[in-house]
Amino acid sequence: MDDSAKRLLQRLVRRIPAQMLKVTLDKWDRLTAKQRKSVDFTQSKWAISQELVALCEESERTVKHIAELEMIYVTENPNQGMWHTFQLVDPEDDAHAVDLMLFKEQFKSHLRELKRNMSVKIKKHTDESVWIRIAWGDGLSRPNHLKATYVVHYLQTPYVFVSTLSSKHKPLLLQALTLSTRHQQIKDANLSGRKLTALRDLLMRQYQHVFPTKYPSPLAERNQSISNLHIEKEQAKASANRHRMAGEAFGNGILPALQSAVFKLETKFKDPSNETMTARDEPFRCGVKFSSTNLLESFRHCASSGIASTPVTPLLSSIPLKGRNYFVITDNVPTACSQMCQTQD
Amino acid sequence: MSLLKPFNKLPDLNTANILLVENEEQFQQSLANTLVEEMAVTVKVRLAKSLPLPMENDESRPRIDLVVFIINLTSDKSFESAKASLKYLDPGYFLGKVCFMVTNARHASVCTGRLDAVRKLAVSLHCPLLFAEDQTPEGATSSARRLLTILKVASGLVPNTTALYLSNLTRCTIPLDIDQPSFD
Repeated sequence: MDDSAKRLLQRLVRRIPAQMLKVTLDKWDRLTAKQRKSVDFTQSKWAISQELVALCEESERTVKHIAELEMIYVTENPNQGMWHTFQLVDPEDDAHAVDLMLFKEQFKSHLRELKRNMSVKIKKHTDESVWIRIAWGDGLSRPNHLKATYVVHYLQTPYVFVSTLSSKHKPLLLQALTLSTRHQQIKDANLSGRKLTALRDLLMRQYQHVFPTKYPSPLAERNQSISNLHIEKEQAKASANRHRMAGEAFGNGILPALQSAVFKLETKFKDPSNETMTARDEPFRCGVKFSSTNLLESFRHCASSGIASTPVTPLLSSIPLKGRNYFVITDNVPTACSQMCQTQD
Repeated sequence: MSLLKPFNKLPDLNTANILLVENEEQFQQSLANTLVEEMAVTVKVRLAKSLPLPMENDESRPRIDLVVFIINLTSDKSFESAKASLKYLDPGYFLGKVCFMVTNARHASVCTGRLDAVRKLAVSLHCPLLFAEDQTPEGATSSARRLLTILKVASGLVPNTTALYLSNLTRCTIPLDIDQPSFD
């Protein structure tokens, strides 16, 4: 087993938490049951990694096998690292006919055309997603397995999630993806975060939506949420309205756990009490970042409790609506009475 | 002007009505659940976010005996909303039928001036100022018990006492060194 494989294995053992290590090794299935039983998982990580290196050398495992192990771990625990989303646009006529085999062949061949000497692994996950692991190398050096790029794509959807991609390899990967999925263009979807499952659920709309209705509560009995007859809310209608509008903007139930949203403002400074700043012509550039363990639920709570005014401002409601969490906001072309801001790509 | 008036309706037998006004609408719910468990008297609780109260409920609303403003010291909006709501109360309420309840007084992020401002407001209106702990059920129970004592007097259910007499004992007073800088 060569040096890079050893280092990869050691890094992996350090990265995988102790409880998950045994399970992941079982899934990997490249060590015999006897070998797996012989490892004592209560030791320190360093000791475990030494044992595993010895076992792998015994069974002559190569760096490709270790890469498999890493892929298994990342596939099962996708909510780590930073994922960025891209969107494929302008499908060609046969984009719908791309199935897994075709995609795999086309992707590998396009990537090989652009760059030799990489290690690509494509796997189909149980939830119909295609996982691709790419270890980049250039003409002279071997593929670097320590900084592998992961790509997740759901076939027949326009979204691709990528993590750990350097700007050097970005155009290559994007071109290979566009060609192999039979689209004409790919663009940045302005959605990024740590939790892949949250990004995916947000884009694929996998949460409970509330559709605006003209008669929101046809049955009055359904709204008897306060159990006691002696307790009565005075402003129940206003409160129910706020709840409804918050639900319409963000959805009901458990929302995808998006964790941050960034607004880059390039608008003019507006504060009537501050003359010097308002007098400037150039836009006042600043960035606003919202972060939370579950940002959409926080926004929904702000709207339903009255902290944020309802109807919910399109600045906030466009996060779930457009499925993005990075916005650049500029003023309209200024006219005498126009004071509105507009979101732009 | 839709003022809430203290004596424009007839009282019910052995009933006390309390109005809890809180901008966040959180603590009032647990307080209400505890208050209605009182056995000796029928306690009816009305919950509101702010005053004025909606006109549609005017007919069905009973006579309110005690108005409690719950102010969260960590939020400026809470205090401003309570101050704005005071305008919609008939002055008759300030003779012992209004009470201020303050939560999160020991919280690290409380700005020091706010508690003093609430205190000064309570003193100027001759109202009691109660401190409550809203995170545990025991906090809700003990605050509810204190409110019930004042409520029973304010609704006339305690013989030989009126709300005005009680307010002379319970009203907030300003300590002499309130304008001195504190030791934080």
